[in-house]
Amino acid sequence: MISFLILISTVVCFSAILALALNFQWGLGGMVNFGMAGLYALGTYSCALLMLKGGANTFFATLGAMAIVAAACGVIALVTLRVTEEDYFAIVTLGVGEMLRLVALNEDWLTKGALGLTGIPRPLGDVIAPEYYQYFLLGLSVALLAGTVWFLNVIARSPFGRIMRALREDDVVAATLGKHVLWARVRIFAIGGAIIGLAGSLHGFYYQYIDPTQFSNIVIAYAFMAVIAGGRGAHQGVIWGAAVVMVLLEGSRFMKDLIPVLDSDQLAAIRIIIIGIGLILLLVFRPQGFMREYRLQVNFK
Amino acid sequence: MLQTAFNGLVTGIIVTLPALAVTLLFGVLKFPNFAVGSMMTLAAYLVFALNVQLGWPLVISTAVVAVAFGGLLIAIDYVTFKPLRERGSITLMVASLGLGFVLENIARLAYGNTARSFAIELARPFRFLDIRMNREQMITIVVSTLAMLAMYFLLTRMPIGRAMRAVADNPALALVRGIESPRIIRWTWFIAGMLLAVGGVLIGMDRALEPPMGSSYLVAVFAAAILGGLGSPLGAFIGALVIGIVSELATLVIPPNYRIGIPLCVIALILIFRPQGLFGQPYIRK
Amino acid sequence: MKKLTRRKVLKRLGAAAALPIAAPFLNLAHAQGASIPIGVALPFTGNAGAYGPDMAEAAKRTAAKINSAGGILGGRKLELFIEDSESSASVAANLSQKFINVHKCQALVGYWGTPEGMSSRPIAVQNKVVLMVSSAANAITEGDTQGYVWRFQMKATDWGIVIGRAVQRLGFKNIGIMGLQNAFVLPIMKTVEDQMKTAGRTVTGSLIYNPEQPSYRAEVERIFGKKPEAVCCFGLLPDFVSIMKEVYRGGFDSKVIALSIMADAEGKFIEAVGPQVAEGIRHFQPMPDTSAPGYKKFLKLMGAPDDRVYLFPPNTHDQIAVVAMAMEKAKSPMAVDWSKQIIPVCNGPGQNIDDVVDALKLIRAGKPVNFSGAGSTCDFTPNGDQLGRGMGHWIIQGGKNVFVEYAKP
Repeated sequence: MISFLILISTVVCFSAILALALNFQWGLGGMVNFGMAGLYALGTYSCALLMLKGGANTFFATLGAMAIVAAACGVIALVTLRVTEEDYFAIVTLGVGEMLRLVALNEDWLTKGALGLTGIPRPLGDVIAPEYYQYFLLGLSVALLAGTVWFLNVIARSPFGRIMRALREDDVVAATLGKHVLWARVRIFAIGGAIIGLAGSLHGFYYQYIDPTQFSNIVIAYAFMAVIAGGRGAHQGVIWGAAVVMVLLEGSRFMKDLIPVLDSDQLAAIRIIIIGIGLILLLVFRPQGFMREYRLQVNFK
Repeated sequence: MLQTAFNGLVTGIIVTLPALAVTLLFGVLKFPNFAVGSMMTLAAYLVFALNVQLGWPLVISTAVVAVAFGGLLIAIDYVTFKPLRERGSITLMVASLGLGFVLENIARLAYGNTARSFAIELARPFRFLDIRMNREQMITIVVSTLAMLAMYFLLTRMPIGRAMRAVADNPALALVRGIESPRIIRWTWFIAGMLLAVGGVLIGMDRALEPPMGSSYLVAVFAAAILGGLGSPLGAFIGALVIGIVSELATLVIPPNYRIGIPLCVIALILIFRPQGLFGQPYIRK
Repeated sequence: MKKLTRRKVLKRLGAAAALPIAAPFLNLAHAQGASIPIGVALPFTGNAGAYGPDMAEAAKRTAAKINSAGGILGGRKLELFIEDSESSASVAANLSQKFINVHKCQALVGYWGTPEGMSSRPIAVQNKVVLMVSSAANAITEGDTQGYVWRFQMKATDWGIVIGRAVQRLGFKNIGIMGLQNAFVLPIMKTVEDQMKTAGRTVTGSLIYNPEQPSYRAEVERIFGKKPEAVCCFGLLPDFVSIMKEVYRGGFDSKVIALSIMADAEGKFIEAVGPQVAEGIRHFQPMPDTSAPGYKKFLKLMGAPDDRVYLFPPNTHDQIAVVAMAMEKAKSPMAVDWSKQIIPVCNGPGQNIDDVVDALKLIRAGKPVNFSGAGSTCDFTPNGDQLGRGMGHWIIQGGKNVFVEYAKP
């Protein structure tokens, strides 16, 4: 059982990193991303292919994957340069996400299509014995998660963090104050993209096998759910949000034993219905989430 | 070539009704509704229940469901979007995403993942100018055209339609002129519900009913609406035809499995060169 | 270095108790007389959802049969952990981890689809646990499996060989081929295409489509528009329903050749499109040799009528049976040991036998056996591919599936 908990905790870690990326782009920067699933796939595939075809080691492959997703996100932000309207931006991200998934599915020569990529190398996979590897991977994931939170906290408290929040609240005002809106948006989205790339790389290390079916659109709902439950803009909260979502998902598998009339198809449907309703309920009743965004505190004495 | 163009026309026509619904909803509510795909799926399954399980004729089933679905959407709006109305378009979009997952999976919960069909006799095609056409395609073209004409009449000749356009153009001004926006919003949902229900049935006739049937059209529907200029009904109609024909013709040169790339490229080009779409008015920022 | 010590310790413990070092949380009582856990991942959901329940039943009955005859390794009982793989790669991977780490399974069986098999393969090899799949894609057993991966199904290219031969025999001179972007479909498509070309027939067109497309009009137009005598269409049920509606309404007359998981799917296809559209479609599916005595015994075990055709449950039966026999022969529940006994037990040489309980008795008596199962003759290549399984060939006539023939590659 302990081993299983370790595995689930690892999944929670990289889901949390993914949710943090969304939180950064949307929660802090106000740039909604409906292409999460496709970009996540891009990160995972980039990392795996850099190792399998490019011969890179795990460290450089991860960095490469982060750079590639960041670049893709930067381009998305650039294409929408003339319309800073969120509506259009959201639709573009949705379309790009779909397209990336199609590429992963159809470009056999590169991604092996529906067959997927197997035998993905893991960091220090040769050095550490298989029976201890899961502990190492959990440790690595926790460390990377902590590093991501630290990095995002630093950014959120920096001058750039203030620009981001200004953009989120009203980009016209930000522009009037002399902030370069387009460049800031590109940076916000690209940094978020790099974090998606990191989460994707970990996904590959964990499963060691990736195929296009792992990146269905429900990934988007999970990430949004984690961000909203955790509290938009609150990094630590998002980790709890991701943990709650994963526990809900895994926990609902035990529902089968409680309600024997339902077959698994129906359970899968119910699980997604619960996620969807939960998303709406949170938006309606607790839009601020369960944790608060960081605010600069000044002690008056 | 001619056959492919005709096929594209049919594809485009299928997209017109949902594109129209999207554009109407956007005009009045000011957010892109990502649940439209799943709404069509659910409506199609409701029609399936009446048509196949209760044995009603397809036309009557569709009519009943269209009206009921309009009402259902008003109810859904009341519990989902109304409380969020003042929170900005992103919140509404996220809510619509969640709603889309809920609706699609209600259909899945009830009917599983199996492919199903309406109880209609399939017919062999006939030829016109050496183009193969079939009965369902004729039905699709006629129904969509009628719906378009009705919409045109509604929006230009009827008070409620004019009020909808007024709210779409400028909600504050419309309110000053005594147009009650809650009532207009209810009407918009009702009309969108009818359009989506009919659209769902047309898609279900064209292919098989399965839970992802509606959402698979999402990118094409939004491309059509953006191409026509979000908020412009006539634009949505023409946008849909263009998207349909271009995507099908493109399969002559690109692999058919990348068809979805065409609407995507159209969106990107439009956003770069003419963000207001072909028929939209330039959006003036406050 | 660690690996070496592990092996040494294993040797010391192996004969007496074979307590896995990798299982420090295991209760000591498990070591002797306790049950032997087997992980069973089956599809109760998704495309193959219809097949899961029967396969689970077959697994349960086979295990019960072995257990009631005294179990294996001196009275130890088989204990099955049956879970839903949801036809999904990541769910199956998580399940495999759970089987290995929580339930301490040394045998993972079931794994109907290619995604499930592909995602669990590295986990099984890494943990030195045997994985028995029912999936067809060639890649499952390609490369170095270290003897831990065994396919209880025909390889996809073998499907292509049987179908291609049938197409030639039916006398079609030119064919079109279309297939779903799917790991097990692509090798079938390629094999059929190559066979046609080497036989001097024409392939008028070949294309791949995506799952969940809004419509299949362009694809149908491209392949059927060239008016080939026959079209081979390989995919799954939902896309095939949409495609066949399009074909019928498009007025195309090419004969259609498909797989039974698309064109039969327990009758769901004909129900969805009606008998008119389905008329004349030929479909193929690997199936057990229903005249084999092993299959007849299996029907009795399942309590099914004599003419019942089970496609996949016999494989599940064979998987459990082979696990039990190999363990008994190796006198060890550890996969490191018994994975090497799978070929001796299945391929022989030894006494031909088709009943698992009888086979276990012979093995205990130290005699060599050559097991033939319910799903096939259970013979394997050294890399874990199954030989000796054939395909059924049906044609839809008047809304009914009519059996045509049974053929082996």
